[in-house]
Amino acid sequence: MSIKILNKSEKQEILNKLKNQFGITDIQGLLVKCGAERIFLFQGSLNQKEIKKLEKIVPIERVGIYFAKEQNNLIRLSIDGILILKNQIKKNIFELNQEQMKEWMCGNELNINSGLNDFVIIKYKNDFLGTGKASENKITNFIPKARRLKK
Amino acid sequence: MQRKNFPLLKPLFLERMQKLLSEKSDFQSYLDILKIPPVRSIRCNTLKLTPQDLKTRLENKTWKIKQPWKNHPEIMVVEGKIIDQNQIDKETINRKRRDNKNVVIGNVENLQPGELGKALEHLLGYYYIQELASMLPIITLNSESGGFILDLCSAPGSKTTQAAAEIKNTRTIIANEVSLGRIKILASNLERCGVTNTIITKKEGTALCKRLKKQNFQFDTILVDAPCSGEGTLRSSPKTYLMWNIKTIKNLPKIQKNLVTSALEILKPNGTLIYSTCTHAPEENEGVINEILKENKNLKLEKIKLPIKPRPGITNWEDKKYSKEITKCARIYPQDNNTEGFFIAKLKKTK
Repeated sequence: MSIKILNKSEKQEILNKLKNQFGITDIQGLLVKCGAERIFLFQGSLNQKEIKKLEKIVPIERVGIYFAKEQNNLIRLSIDGILILKNQIKKNIFELNQEQMKEWMCGNELNINSGLNDFVIIKYKNDFLGTGKASENKITNFIPKARRLKK
Repeated sequence: MQRKNFPLLKPLFLERMQKLLSEKSDFQSYLDILKIPPVRSIRCNTLKLTPQDLKTRLENKTWKIKQPWKNHPEIMVVEGKIIDQNQIDKETINRKRRDNKNVVIGNVENLQPGELGKALEHLLGYYYIQELASMLPIITLNSESGGFILDLCSAPGSKTTQAAAEIKNTRTIIANEVSLGRIKILASNLERCGVTNTIITKKEGTALCKRLKKQNFQFDTILVDAPCSGEGTLRSSPKTYLMWNIKTIKNLPKIQKNLVTSALEILKPNGTLIYSTCTHAPEENEGVINEILKENKNLKLEKIKLPIKPRPGITNWEDKKYSKEITKCARIYPQDNNTEGFFIAKLKKTK
């Protein structure tokens, strides 16, 4: 897997988008890109130089965890990315009721008008349940199969 | 709840276990407990919430939770679901009692198969389903799990996620695994648990150590949870027993010893190496550690502190005599603490 550790300005660019979308102002750690879209977050003590040194001698499959995806010039946070940054998320949050939460966690889209546009953070009580894409009358679901409730 | 279809144990396996458990009543207790599935244990993922918060959430779902080890509140046993006597009539309870899949003891019924894994709290990474004995190697490290950590045989990630939680996602863990299929499971578990301090590498263990040595990578802590014959997992997966054969037990020590030997090459002075297996076979346990101690004079075995009572490593097996030091290793038998079987050795590099 080829990895690209984002430099300061590339990281700032992601952060600016996250600030606009969700009010997030700080990400501790390195952001690593794998492929064109997927961004990983690494918060270990190894620095960029040491990771590169490691990459030269052994196949690296992952650095940190899958954190977000760049999509149409916006950032779609992964369910785990949200859980890491949940204390900083200030806007574009959509709260579900229990029935909607069950639908959502089963991987279904929600046929509701959220009054929001683009990516929204889905929340039920104190639990953050991933990112959805809100449009006029629905919220599209991105919960990965392995993380869905089974009926 | 006793299993109906437990496989018939092979005579050679029984003979070997009888040698290890020479007292008749001890051996019988071992055979008896094999027929009972292990307790349903989970480990609260403290990277995401506190043990108290998890306990409250699960109890609100009517799950009966026990925290078996006082100093480790993150470790919990799910004893079942409490039946609300007002919501359910006596006949239904009796029917559930008759149905083996849903045994009721008092007002507590068993969870449905797979219920632990399907719960929202599991999907959100609030807990990890892990057998009690498998949590012990990381507990052995206590708070020493310092600096740079290598988990040489990492998948599916139970010990890696436990170590990451222990050190609160600080420092760095290299989680290595040779099989791509198992790496997928490992990555998925690390993600679910919010582990951000880990790099996953894919390489055969001894080859990885050689390459790391060439580039002067050195580790403070190394975990070698070695591939083994799995005798200790009979309670949770009796089917794996069908694969048991003495040839595997005779062949595995070479692989296990090679893994430890190469790992020692990249262990820092004063660093700690934990060797563990889920088997009772002395060839794969004391036999490996004895050879390692003979060949490495800069190593010492440390006594292991555990929240359960282990038995000491043995010093005689068949025609072999092991060093007295080996008694510092921990043997965990299922009948002693109602767990699976395990073996742990803690090695310290002196210089």
